[in-house]
Amino acid sequence: MFYLRYVRSELVRRRGRTILTVLGLALGVSLVIAITALTHGLDKAQRSALNPLSSIGTDLTVTRGAQANVGGGPGGFGGDGQVLAANRSVLTDLSKLGKPGQHFVHDFFLPGTQLTFSAKQAQRQVAAISGVAAASTGLTLLAEHQQGVVPRIVAQIKTGGQRFNVQRNFKPPTAAELAQIRKCFTKARAAGSGSGSGGGGRGLGGGGGGGFGGPGGFGFGGGAFRKCLPARFQRFRATFRTPTQTLRQVLNPPQTNITTQPYTIGGVDTSNPDVALVTPSQVTKGVYLGRAGGLQALVSTSYAKSQSLKVGSKLDLNGTRFRVVGLVQPPLGGQSADVYVPLARLQKLAGLSGQANVVLVRAASGSSVGSVQKAIQRALPGAQVASGKQVADRISGSLVNASNLSHSLGLALSILAAAAAFLLAALLTLSSVGKRVRELGTLKALGWTQWLVIRQVVGESLAQGLLGGLVGIVLGVIVAALVTAFGPTLSASSPAAGTGALFGLGGSSLRATRAVTLSAPITVWIVLLGLLLALVGGMLAGATGALRAARLRPADALRQFE
Amino acid sequence: MSELLYEVRNVSRFFRRGEQTIRALDAITLEIGAGQFVALEGPSGSGKTTLLQLLGALDRPSEGHVVFDGRDLADLPDDALATLRLDAFGFVFQQFNLIPTLTSLENVEAALAPKGLEERQLRQRAELLLGEVGLADRAEHVPAQLSGGEQQRVAIARALAVEPRVVLADEPTGNLDTSTGRDVIELLTSLAARRGTTIVVATHDVELAARAPRRLAMRDGRLVGEPQPVPEPA
Repeated sequence: MFYLRYVRSELVRRRGRTILTVLGLALGVSLVIAITALTHGLDKAQRSALNPLSSIGTDLTVTRGAQANVGGGPGGFGGDGQVLAANRSVLTDLSKLGKPGQHFVHDFFLPGTQLTFSAKQAQRQVAAISGVAAASTGLTLLAEHQQGVVPRIVAQIKTGGQRFNVQRNFKPPTAAELAQIRKCFTKARAAGSGSGSGGGGRGLGGGGGGGFGGPGGFGFGGGAFRKCLPARFQRFRATFRTPTQTLRQVLNPPQTNITTQPYTIGGVDTSNPDVALVTPSQVTKGVYLGRAGGLQALVSTSYAKSQSLKVGSKLDLNGTRFRVVGLVQPPLGGQSADVYVPLARLQKLAGLSGQANVVLVRAASGSSVGSVQKAIQRALPGAQVASGKQVADRISGSLVNASNLSHSLGLALSILAAAAAFLLAALLTLSSVGKRVRELGTLKALGWTQWLVIRQVVGESLAQGLLGGLVGIVLGVIVAALVTAFGPTLSASSPAAGTGALFGLGGSSLRATRAVTLSAPITVWIVLLGLLLALVGGMLAGATGALRAARLRPADALRQFE
Repeated sequence: MSELLYEVRNVSRFFRRGEQTIRALDAITLEIGAGQFVALEGPSGSGKTTLLQLLGALDRPSEGHVVFDGRDLADLPDDALATLRLDAFGFVFQQFNLIPTLTSLENVEAALAPKGLEERQLRQRAELLLGEVGLADRAEHVPAQLSGGEQQRVAIARALAVEPRVVLADEPTGNLDTSTGRDVIELLTSLAARRGTTIVVATHDVELAARAPRRLAMRDGRLVGEPQPVPEPA
C-alpha cells in the first residue's frame, strides 16, 4: 500500500523528529501509566487495610474508656481506679525477673485505655438488649515484650550490730563537791533514821579512814548515794549496741540491653467466632483458633512479617508456649491486634481472670445498627459504643495520607504529564507540518484531495502515537515494577476504641497498625488507557496541523518558501 | 485549428498584501488548442506563474472564467478540482518539488496513488515512466541523492504518469545549467509530442521559448501580443 509506505518513509527518513516525538509521547504515557498504577495500588492497599468493621459481622464495639466516670454504673463494669493504677506505671521491676546477669524474656500486659469488666456479666447485659443478634467479649491489651539481661540494680546494705564500749576516768571530787556530798548524805541519813532504820553503830565522825559505805551501810541505798554525787559523776560507763538494719534500695534502672517492643494482643472468645475480635473469614493462611481454646495463636500478617512468624511458629508468652495456627488480616478497627489467643488464656496470662474490655455486637439487621447503638448507650451509661464506620473514619496514617494525596495530586500529575506530552507532540507535528506545506501543496497539485492529504499526515501522527504509546507502556511498566519491587511501606493506624486521654504509657498507646507495602499493579485497562491517550494525542496533533495545511489552496501552499 | 482546450475570459487575479492590492493578472483573455506547445514569456512578476496556476486549477481567479474542455472551473468544488488535476494536469516546477522522503520510484507512484491502482500495477507503471526518462537505475534513490537534472526528469516522469491532457511547466530549466536544461526540455517535448499532450511552459529562457510554436509575452499581468516566432538558429 503506497500510503503506508509513505508513512514509513516519513518516519524512517525523518528519524530525528520521529524519535523526539515518540520519546515525548512515551514519557507522557509512561508517567500517566505509572501514576495511575500507583493510585490504583494505593486504592487497593487502602481497601484491604481500611475495610470497615461492618463488613465482617461486627456492627458495634462496646468499650469503656478510663476517663469515663462510673458513678454507680451497671454492675458489669468495674471502677477506674485499678486500671488507672495499672497503667500509671509501666516500670519493670527488674529485680523480680531473675538474678543479675541472667537473660530474661518477659511480656507485660496492660489494659491500655479500656477498662476491664466482668466478661460474662457484660455479655449477658448486652445480649439482652433488643436488636442485638449476637454479642461476644474480647480482651484487647497492649503488651510490652521485653528481653535482655537482668541488671544489677538492687543495693542491699546491712547496718548496725556494732558494740560501743565507753570508758572514762573522772577527776576526783573537789573540796566544794565533797562538802556538798557530805551535806547531802547528812540530809539523807536524817531522813533515813526518821524512818526507823535503827542500827546504832559507830559514829560518823569516828576515826579516820571511815568510808561512806562501810559494812553495815547507812541504812540508805545506792539511790541516795547516786543522788548526792555531782551531776558529772552521774554518767556511768555504758555499752551500746546499735540495732541491726537491712536497707534494700531499688535503684533507678540502669542502662542495659533491655529492649522493649510494644504490640497488641487480643483475647478471642472462641465460642462465638463469627462476632469475635477476629473471625474465621479473616484467616488468610492456616486455620482459625480451635473452639476449645487451646494454646493456639493467630498472628496478623503484618506482625508476622515483621517478626518472621509463620504458621507453625512457636510463640512464648511468659513461659506459656503458643503455636501459631494461622495468619489473619483483620480490618483495621478499634479492636484489631497483632496477636490473638483464646480469651481465657490471655485472661490468665494478664492476671485478669474473667475480665474483658470490649463487647462486640452484631445487630439483627444493618438498618438497626443506629438504634441498637443508642439502646446500648442507654443501658450502659458510660459505655462507648462505636460503629464500624466511626472506627474507619478515625483511621489515619501514611497510607491514608498517601491515598488521599494520590487522588488529588495523582490526577493532577497525570493530567499535567499527559498535557505536557501532547503539547510537545502537537508542537513537533505542527512545526513539521509547517515545514512541509509546500510538500503537501505538491501532493494537492498531483491531484490528492484534501482528505487524502489529511489522512496521510494524521496517519503519520497515529504511527508516532502508536510507537510512543508502546514505548511509554514499556517504560511505565518498568517504573511500576520498580515501585512494586522497592516500594515504600505505608502504614495505616486506627486509635483504640476508647479514644481520648492516653496516660503514662510512654508514648505507646493502644493502636492497631497495618503496614502495607506500596505496589503499582498494572492492569490491561491502564495499558489501554496509556495507548489510547498516545493515539488520541497523536491524532489530534496531526489533524490540527494537517487541516491547516491541507485547507490552503495548492497555489498558496506552493508559493510558500519560494 | 485543433480542438479548443482552454478558454480564458477576462481573468484577473488580485492578491492582497497588507493595505495594498496587487493585480497579478489583469483581464486576460486567451484560447489554447489541444496538443499545442505554448511558451509564456516575461520577466519575474509579470504573472506567468499565476496564469499557469489558474490553468492548472491550483488557484481560482478573482474575476473572469477559466473554461477547460468546456467546463468552467469556477463551478467545480475543491475536490472536483483535485480530481481534475489528477486526471488532466501534470506539473513541473522550477524547484522540482519532489517529496524528499520518497525514492524516485515512489515519487512517481505518489502521482498515481489516488487513482486506486493495484500495488503491482502502480509499481510497473512508475518503473516504465522512470525508464522513459532514463532513470531506471535511480529508482531507489531519494531526491537528495540525485542531481538537479535527474530530479527534474523524475518530476517529468511524475507529471506524465497519469497521462494528462496538459503539462504545465513553471520555469522547468530555471534551476538547471544550460545543457541540462536543454536535455530536460528535449525530453519533455518529445514525450509530450508522442502522447499529443498540450504543454504550457512559463519561462524567461529565450532559447526554450523559441522552441514553442506559440509564444505569449506577459508584462504586468497582461498579455502583450503574441511575439513572432524567431527563426530557427542555423
